[in-house]
Amino acid sequence: MIRYLMFLVIVLLPVEALAISAEDVMKKSQAAFLYQGKDFKARVIMKLISKGGAERIRELTMLRKNYGEPGGDQKFFMYFFQPADVKDMTFMVYKYPAKDDDRWLFVPAINMVRRIAAQDKASSFVGSDFTYEDVSGRDIHDDTHAIVKEEKLGGKDCYVIKSTPKAADVDYSYKLSWIDKTNFLPSKEEYYDRKGELYKIFSADEIKNIKGFPTVTKRAMKNLQSGHRTEVAYIKSDYNIGIEDSLFSERFLKQPPKKWVE
Amino acid sequence: MKKFSLVEFSVEHPKLVVILSVIVTLLFMTQFPKMKTDTNPKHMLPATSDVRVWNDEVDSTFGLYEDMIVVGIKNENGVVNTETLNKIKKITDDIVRIKGVASRDVNSFPTITNVTAEAGTLKVAPLMTNIPKIDTELKKFRKDLFDNPLFLNRIISKDGKTTAIYVPLEKGANGKEIADKIREILKNEKGDEKYYVAGDPVARDTFGAEMFKLMAVFAPIAGMVMLFVRYLMFKDLFLSVTLMMDAMMSIVWSMGLLIALGFPIHIMSSMAPVFLMAIATDSMHIFNEFYFCYKEKRNKKVAIIETMHAVGRPVRYTALATAAGFGVLLFMSIIPVKVFGGLVAFGTVALRILSFSFIPAMFMFVKESHLDRASQGEDITAGSGSKLLRTLAGAGTHKAGTTVVIGLILFVISIIGISKIVVNNNLVEWFKKSNEVRVADREINNALGGTSLGYVVAISESNNEYIKTPEAMRYIEGIQRHLEKLPMVGKTFSVADYVKRINRVLHDDDPKYDTVPDTKEAVGQYLFLFSMSAKPSDLDNVVDPSFKKANIWVQLKTWDAGAMKEVIKAADEYKKQNPLPLKLKPAGIAYFNLVWNHEVLWDMVKGFVLALVVVFVILVFNFRSFKWAVVSYVPLIFTVLLIYGVIGFSGKRFDMPISVLSCLSLGMAVDFAIHFVSRLKQRLGESKDSLTDALLWTAARPGKGIMRNAVLFAAAFSVMMLAPLTPYITVGAFIVSMMLLSAIMTIVYLPALIVLMRGWLFKGGPR
Repeated sequence: MIRYLMFLVIVLLPVEALAISAEDVMKKSQAAFLYQGKDFKARVIMKLISKGGAERIRELTMLRKNYGEPGGDQKFFMYFFQPADVKDMTFMVYKYPAKDDDRWLFVPAINMVRRIAAQDKASSFVGSDFTYEDVSGRDIHDDTHAIVKEEKLGGKDCYVIKSTPKAADVDYSYKLSWIDKTNFLPSKEEYYDRKGELYKIFSADEIKNIKGFPTVTKRAMKNLQSGHRTEVAYIKSDYNIGIEDSLFSERFLKQPPKKWVE
Repeated sequence: MKKFSLVEFSVEHPKLVVILSVIVTLLFMTQFPKMKTDTNPKHMLPATSDVRVWNDEVDSTFGLYEDMIVVGIKNENGVVNTETLNKIKKITDDIVRIKGVASRDVNSFPTITNVTAEAGTLKVAPLMTNIPKIDTELKKFRKDLFDNPLFLNRIISKDGKTTAIYVPLEKGANGKEIADKIREILKNEKGDEKYYVAGDPVARDTFGAEMFKLMAVFAPIAGMVMLFVRYLMFKDLFLSVTLMMDAMMSIVWSMGLLIALGFPIHIMSSMAPVFLMAIATDSMHIFNEFYFCYKEKRNKKVAIIETMHAVGRPVRYTALATAAGFGVLLFMSIIPVKVFGGLVAFGTVALRILSFSFIPAMFMFVKESHLDRASQGEDITAGSGSKLLRTLAGAGTHKAGTTVVIGLILFVISIIGISKIVVNNNLVEWFKKSNEVRVADREINNALGGTSLGYVVAISESNNEYIKTPEAMRYIEGIQRHLEKLPMVGKTFSVADYVKRINRVLHDDDPKYDTVPDTKEAVGQYLFLFSMSAKPSDLDNVVDPSFKKANIWVQLKTWDAGAMKEVIKAADEYKKQNPLPLKLKPAGIAYFNLVWNHEVLWDMVKGFVLALVVVFVILVFNFRSFKWAVVSYVPLIFTVLLIYGVIGFSGKRFDMPISVLSCLSLGMAVDFAIHFVSRLKQRLGESKDSLTDALLWTAARPGKGIMRNAVLFAAAFSVMMLAPLTPYITVGAFIVSMMLLSAIMTIVYLPALIVLMRGWLFKGGPR
């Protein structure tokens, strides 16, 4: 009997040890996608494209610094170049998992810094098809995750993860993510609305190695229902550049240091 | 004499003719499964028409939806209480799940974007993220709701008792189906709240669905009533059925042809069967004469040929006049009007072919004993009907002067009535006052800004984001205030409202800052700030990405096509008083309704006038006399004028259904006159009667056919007055009064005119 059990354990053990849970995949993906390096800087160009083809441009410098482990606190500092009339506008976010973010905005026309409430994570980021959550990440524990299948996408082996929100705090009823098995970056995400219909598609369109970190440098989010889409390009990306903590303050919001924003 | 041989052929080979007719009918019937319907009034105008191209452009520029359903929720104790708010949240969640609903842009308490400042923090978020439960939360919610001028009259009524859920529909979604699903959701809710479902797609698609139902119910009922009345008139079921078949065949032929050609059945063409039934009654004259003839000749075949000889000419000319009257519609510019005209013209021709083949053939199958019995009553001296007609015509003939004077007085009164006619169209008023579609519309319009939506688009020519300038913003605000002075404008909103709101909120909610800021940068930054958290559609709906165009939403409290006309006028006024390099252009469903009503209506009116001319020309040819054409034209003109006069006095508005009906009056009223005058002239040629005697004979014999025709039709169509949709009631009332009036005109007024003008009409003096 004992022999038999031991045999069973030997047979099952390697499988157990090798299999990765859906939650672990998503954790690794989050670390690879949003927490790479100690800090990060990029010039971001967003094209907001309407169904009719009309474009609105957003151009900004984004600075990010991690505090603690992947999945932990982060601070963001953004400086806007475009549209022209918002030049010099700055935006700062303290991101905490499991708690509402703190956000501040500097409005140059009235020379005033205002705190901005961040109750709604599902709201659009600067009018794009990305939500604040898409930009800064969603808490892993807000969803239940399951590996639906494993398949090749664009020649890359991927896990396909289904993430279902525990609460109805977002617009979608579930999301499918294709996570690249080698670098754990998301290749594609499909969002299904409450009617169960596919309505939003994320795609990572270009991946570059920057200081050894695979980084998504071109991405797009397309809303199938409204026909609106947003294309994002990261130019001049860099990691571990030594951003000081003092940058993330109201003082620098009003007068952002040139060396960081240019 | 070619047609005549068709009659003889039919009489010689009745079986063949009947079998052929049935085969042709079956052939046309094979097309029926391919039937498509299209009840969208939008499709009255082609997709390439200016208004549709422009509206589509506006929709795509501003991310708007063609169609919007408005769900009203009313609680006499106010909607701001936890229980009602819970329901609003639940209903909104359920509506968002309906297929065909543009979920992302449903606006209601839980989804509409609010901009507030709390303890120095700016908040751009949906109005109701959590349902307020305790008193302090409810109090705060009430303040949020009433403090934001963007909400007042839009999602909350002034008295706080009514709220609305705005449900935009994806392109091609059926408004009635979605409205039904919403009603299904609402049915499950218990409590004091009342619910209303309104909006153009609801009215339009409900009307479309009802219309086909009604056509399926009322056309057969009208047919059955006609069958029954005919039976009473001729005491012979077989012949009554023959007449019925005559009409049915022509309907099958023309509808079959329409379907085979690939046209969908529109609102207008769905009325064609009724029109054809009306026109088919003209073969009544054949029957009428046949009975008289048979009684005299006692030989079926001879009687048939004699009958066709006697009525052949008037029947051919009435058919020609009717077909031409409708045929001119083919030259109009609106496709459904053309299709309708062509359809009825074809049906009329089909009817006449059948009158000269199928009907005579069918006569051959009637047992002579039946005919003997049935024709007993047909005696122009003894028959009670004929007697009455003689008396009527006698009044016209003997007191010609008085009759004509009375007529003239009526004529003047009618003209006064016509001058009072108001041209308008209102889709919602096509439903009865008590219909839930209309009740819902009325309730929501009483409480909130309105269910009808129009836009005024401000367009700048310059490329440098002119809309962001304070002057453009103030201009837009000025137009809004100016438009809001109109009584039927319930609510307007624009990009300027967002800018003002943010200015105030950024300055600690100080009412002093409820204004447009002084620099273009500030406007740009405010809007950017707003777009950082609002739904993308919030800004897209009111301004285009290049800031060259701004869209002002104008909610109207009525679906009157004229309301938008007033809005356009007011906007133009404002522009004149405040010159600025901004062009103003109207758009939206309210504007579309204005345009299509106008175009369809005037196309019909144009067609009607043209048809009048064509019919007159045919009359001239028919009688080979201008004078007789004028005289026989009088009953037609008079009937039309009298009816329009009554419409003018009754305050009923001249709308699309009435303009369509005008064409029918033309087809019918002129028929009677053609029959009367043709037969009178024949009688004068064939007998030695004096004019008075000939008139009395005509009134009694062919006149009986006219009266039968009129009564039959009035009886059948009075059924329609019981319909739940007002255009059908209008059709019913219109046809009934038209038939009776034109018959009376023909029998009383025509003899009077002929007697009075005999010196002018008859060369060489009257007899």
